[in-house]
Amino acid sequence: MILVEHLARSFTVARVPRKVWPLKSFSFKRRPLPLVHAVRDVSFAAPDGHITGLLGPNGAGKTTTLRMLAGLITPDHGRMSVAGIDVVRQPQAAVAHMGVLSDARGLYPRLSARENIVYFGRLQGMSLEAAQARAETLARMLDMLPLLERRTDGFSQGERMKTALARALVHDPAHIVLDEPTNGLDVLATRALRESLRFLSTPAGGNKCIIFSTHIMQEVQRLCDSVVVVAQGCTVASGTVQELLQRTGEIDFEEAFVKLAFAPLADSARGVAS
Amino acid sequence: MKHWRNIWVVFTKELVDALRDRRTLLVLLASSVLMGPLLLLALSGLIASLEAKAELREVLVVGMEQAPTLKNFFERQTWVVKTAPAEYERLLRDAKLGDPVLLVPKDFEATLLRGDTPELELVSDSANKKSEAGVRRVLELLRAFGQERASLSLAMRGVSAELLSPIKVQERDLASNQARAAKFTSMLTFFVLLAVISGAMNAALDSTAGERERGSLEPLLMNPVAALALVLGKWCAVAAVAMLIAVLSCLSFLPGQWLLRSDTLQAMFQFGWHEVALFLVVLLPFAAAVSAVLMAVAIGSKSVKEAQANSTVVMLTFGLLPMVSLFNQSGDEPWHLWLPGLAQNILMMRVLKGESFTTLQIVVPLLVCVLLTVAGVMFVASRVRSAAVK
Repeated sequence: MILVEHLARSFTVARVPRKVWPLKSFSFKRRPLPLVHAVRDVSFAAPDGHITGLLGPNGAGKTTTLRMLAGLITPDHGRMSVAGIDVVRQPQAAVAHMGVLSDARGLYPRLSARENIVYFGRLQGMSLEAAQARAETLARMLDMLPLLERRTDGFSQGERMKTALARALVHDPAHIVLDEPTNGLDVLATRALRESLRFLSTPAGGNKCIIFSTHIMQEVQRLCDSVVVVAQGCTVASGTVQELLQRTGEIDFEEAFVKLAFAPLADSARGVAS
Repeated sequence: MKHWRNIWVVFTKELVDALRDRRTLLVLLASSVLMGPLLLLALSGLIASLEAKAELREVLVVGMEQAPTLKNFFERQTWVVKTAPAEYERLLRDAKLGDPVLLVPKDFEATLLRGDTPELELVSDSANKKSEAGVRRVLELLRAFGQERASLSLAMRGVSAELLSPIKVQERDLASNQARAAKFTSMLTFFVLLAVISGAMNAALDSTAGERERGSLEPLLMNPVAALALVLGKWCAVAAVAMLIAVLSCLSFLPGQWLLRSDTLQAMFQFGWHEVALFLVVLLPFAAAVSAVLMAVAIGSKSVKEAQANSTVVMLTFGLLPMVSLFNQSGDEPWHLWLPGLAQNILMMRVLKGESFTTLQIVVPLLVCVLLTVAGVMFVASRVRSAAVK
């Protein structure tokens, strides 16, 4: 079970000097740097044995939310817990219960796929034998057995993705957090991934709690048990696909999503106009 | 316990990763291993040619036929008189002629017999090192000639020749054989320092800025491992590579010695296992400190290229500080020991000169290296999380 309540985080961004030669406007007083509110108010609950989709347009704050969940960024406000463990207070304990496939998914090019996976397994506290065995199990599941002994240097986008996914799942976590995992995968690989995730969420697959962030509507429709729509750093709606369709009175999920995600934008634009 | 295990896991992975970077490693190894023998070979060639010149008793003269007395003197001193080539000025300027040229005026013999002072001209080029070295020998020879002439004329007048030299000077050089050689071998220590820095550079950059550039730092930090354990593991691997380079470049001087052509240099440059051990006492802490500092500089960079530009500053500081002792003629000051790079250079020079260390000379640079290492590792550990998401 992953709980996220009223999460907020803002960043300062570097100012671009207006003049190429900024000496004239030079002063020792430091103007405060401009703030960007990446996440304003995101809340959701992802139960075990359930695939929760985090749906939002580009720049909605999905990646920042997931980075906070993984303990990389401390939130300004809000609470997060993984299996009852507070992420802010005990980040390492929380991370041990999660397998995160983040936005950055770089591999070590001089190591083989197996070595990449086993390295993370060892860092998760597994023994060498256990990590090796698990790497093979995952390779079978993700259909990447022939890749296992190859250096990741010449891997295709899909092969990289599979290796990174196996690396994130190596310690058999009860909670799986995936940030746009289908990026760069072809139809067959996407299908295979969907199958695997669906299996993992069933009791036979371990009743995992899965969070799946994406900006692709079809993915959500095909895979997710419930959807959380995020726009401009806020949770704007949540529920099953059916519920969201009913709420917006649309038949097409894409239309429903546009209504939900961009309505606040349109409102604020109208506010400015009037 | 858990932390030690994690440090070990990170260390072994980083070491394997660094050792698999075959091409970079080969270049590093080749340059550090070949450096010793090549440098020594070049040095011995230089000294051997200087020695050969000193043994060669030859003087280049223009117009020798006008001075039979001088010629007679040269030949009595068993010097060979050679006629200088016509375009000697150009040859000297182009450094193609390695000896100074003596010009004898037309009326030399007549002036000498008359009892006047004839004027000789000795042509050399001070930018031409080889001819410069010969000037002193020819001047010495001419002075001896003057001395002989003077004592002869005094003797004819019944005056003792000793009147001409009321004092006697005996030169005594305090420098030991090895200290004299250190004049030539001082550049060796400089190259050893550079080899250690460049050995650490690649691994340090790859494990920090490289990890950021590849996008593997963020997933790495999503493992339940303390940032300090992670950074310590990485630092251990980088320092291990740098230390390996240090050991290899020191050992390369051992076989390098056999290539020495000059007997004098061979006698003066004594580099055995004892010297290797002392060099390593100086270099290993330095390798550790340089690794930490390079990692600290590189963690702020988003790409390896950016980090390379930034670490040039480290390279220049540590690599060029030894120049202070080169420019500073007043000898080593106590504060020199506090500067990394310079301190190591001073200590290695002492080893080459065959001098021993005081406790302070060992402790101060060691302390500086330990402090730098701790500061560097702590800095990287504090920055690694924010670096991952930027």
